[in-house]
Amino acid sequence: MIRFETVTKTYKGEVVALREASAEIQKGEFVFLVGPSGSGKSTFIRLINREEVPDAGKILVAGKDVSSLSSWKVPYLRRNIGYVFQDYKLLPKKTVTENVAFALEVIGRPRPIIKRQVPAILELVGLSRKADRLPEELSGGEQQRVSIARAFVNRPLILLADEPTGNLDPATSVGIMRLLDRINRSGTTVVMATHDRGIVDTMRRRVIELDRGMLVRDESRGVYE
Amino acid sequence: MIFRFWYFIRETFVSLWRNLSLTLAAILTVAISLALVGSSLLIREGADQATAQFQEGVEFIVFMNADALENQNEAIRKVLDTSPAIKEYVYVDKFAAYEEFRELFVDKPELVESVTPEIMPPSYRIVPSDPDADNVTELARQFSEQPGVKEVATATEAIRQIEDFSTRVSQALLLAAIVLVAVSAVLILNTVFTAISGRKTEIEVMKLVGATNWFVRIPFMLEGTIHGLMGAGLAVPALFVVDSKVLAYFQESEAVPLFRGFAVPDGFVWNTSIWILVIGAAIGMIGSAFAVTRYLDA
Repeated sequence: MIRFETVTKTYKGEVVALREASAEIQKGEFVFLVGPSGSGKSTFIRLINREEVPDAGKILVAGKDVSSLSSWKVPYLRRNIGYVFQDYKLLPKKTVTENVAFALEVIGRPRPIIKRQVPAILELVGLSRKADRLPEELSGGEQQRVSIARAFVNRPLILLADEPTGNLDPATSVGIMRLLDRINRSGTTVVMATHDRGIVDTMRRRVIELDRGMLVRDESRGVYE
Repeated sequence: MIFRFWYFIRETFVSLWRNLSLTLAAILTVAISLALVGSSLLIREGADQATAQFQEGVEFIVFMNADALENQNEAIRKVLDTSPAIKEYVYVDKFAAYEEFRELFVDKPELVESVTPEIMPPSYRIVPSDPDADNVTELARQFSEQPGVKEVATATEAIRQIEDFSTRVSQALLLAAIVLVAVSAVLILNTVFTAISGRKTEIEVMKLVGATNWFVRIPFMLEGTIHGLMGAGLAVPALFVVDSKVLAYFQESEAVPLFRGFAVPDGFVWNTSIWILVIGAAIGMIGSAFAVTRYLDA
């Protein structure tokens, strides 16, 4: 599903974010990206959905070389990739339903489909009863659920999550991880960058560790360290 | 597709409303600058019309009294035919003069109705051998002393007056207009930029869920274009006011008789209006395109 072939990425030609990293992630896998701040986790994720372009090497996503993808095709690549942020990035003036529907509206999905899919996904993330609330009326965990609903409503092949539990307390984080696990079990490949030792050690999924841009460890059923 | 159309309209107007003060500033600046562009064009056209009689080398015109006697005319013609100072001339009789008057004031039937061929002064349009100003002035003086001559209008004097006036005014207006057009493009750029900054998260989310670049751009481009069009929409009535009040003032002016020809056909005002709308839309599109390429696609 995702393949990195000796990928190097530097910023402004100086700061090395990723150095000759190679990895292959199969369809339906759940992968933790771990490592200290600045180790290249975010870059790894941003390369997958073409927010960044590598300086060298190849990145294949669903069989396509995204590093050489022409820019007008990028939106269509991203329609297959859900994205969950640490800070949720919900639109403050839109309700839960509107926030989720927004992701479908802006890619031109017809209204009947939106009307059917949004309530279904809110049911999945357990927010049906708060569908008409504004983000500020929700707890952090609930906001992250909305963000996950928005990322998953289009049923992407891949879900990228950059520190999704970074702003949440441990108990709430567990709920979020259960949700991501469920999404993963439905066949979606999940790649999650995290600092959360507890989560990684409990889930026992594949762990890719980065250190100053080098891929230093890749274990299926790994722990944080 | 219909759904998308309404999406764009909704987004655009929400954004216009959100930045109301900047939007109004941008629209008014566009309006003022385009009104100046238009006025400048009208004055130029008016000057062209007013000096129409003095084309093809005609340097002065001898107007006869409407009731000039035939022998008075003959005397003039004899001088014109024999004098080496005269290269050629055209005689415009009262009927031809009336025709010309009718054409010039085709938009003002009440003015045309107020005259008849009988009261139109016949005239001689004269091309001198030597178009030097002093020479023309001297010739004009000589003709003005002939019996039956009502007045002599020299191109050097009349055209200089009108052209000086119109060139100065229209150039000043155009200069101000160019500065203001630039200012309004920058204002639109700023307004659109403000709109973009106000919706940073929204744009980021749109891009990450796979909205196409055009889908993200269109509401902002539309917003800028609407600024331009609305400004132009305000400038168009201003043009008609300039036409009916300012230019009319010159036409009625007694002080400078030649300004009476300072008329602009209605068709010209309409054409100019269309140009103003096109320019307005273009300013808006250019301003917003700059904003979009600088702040959105980056």
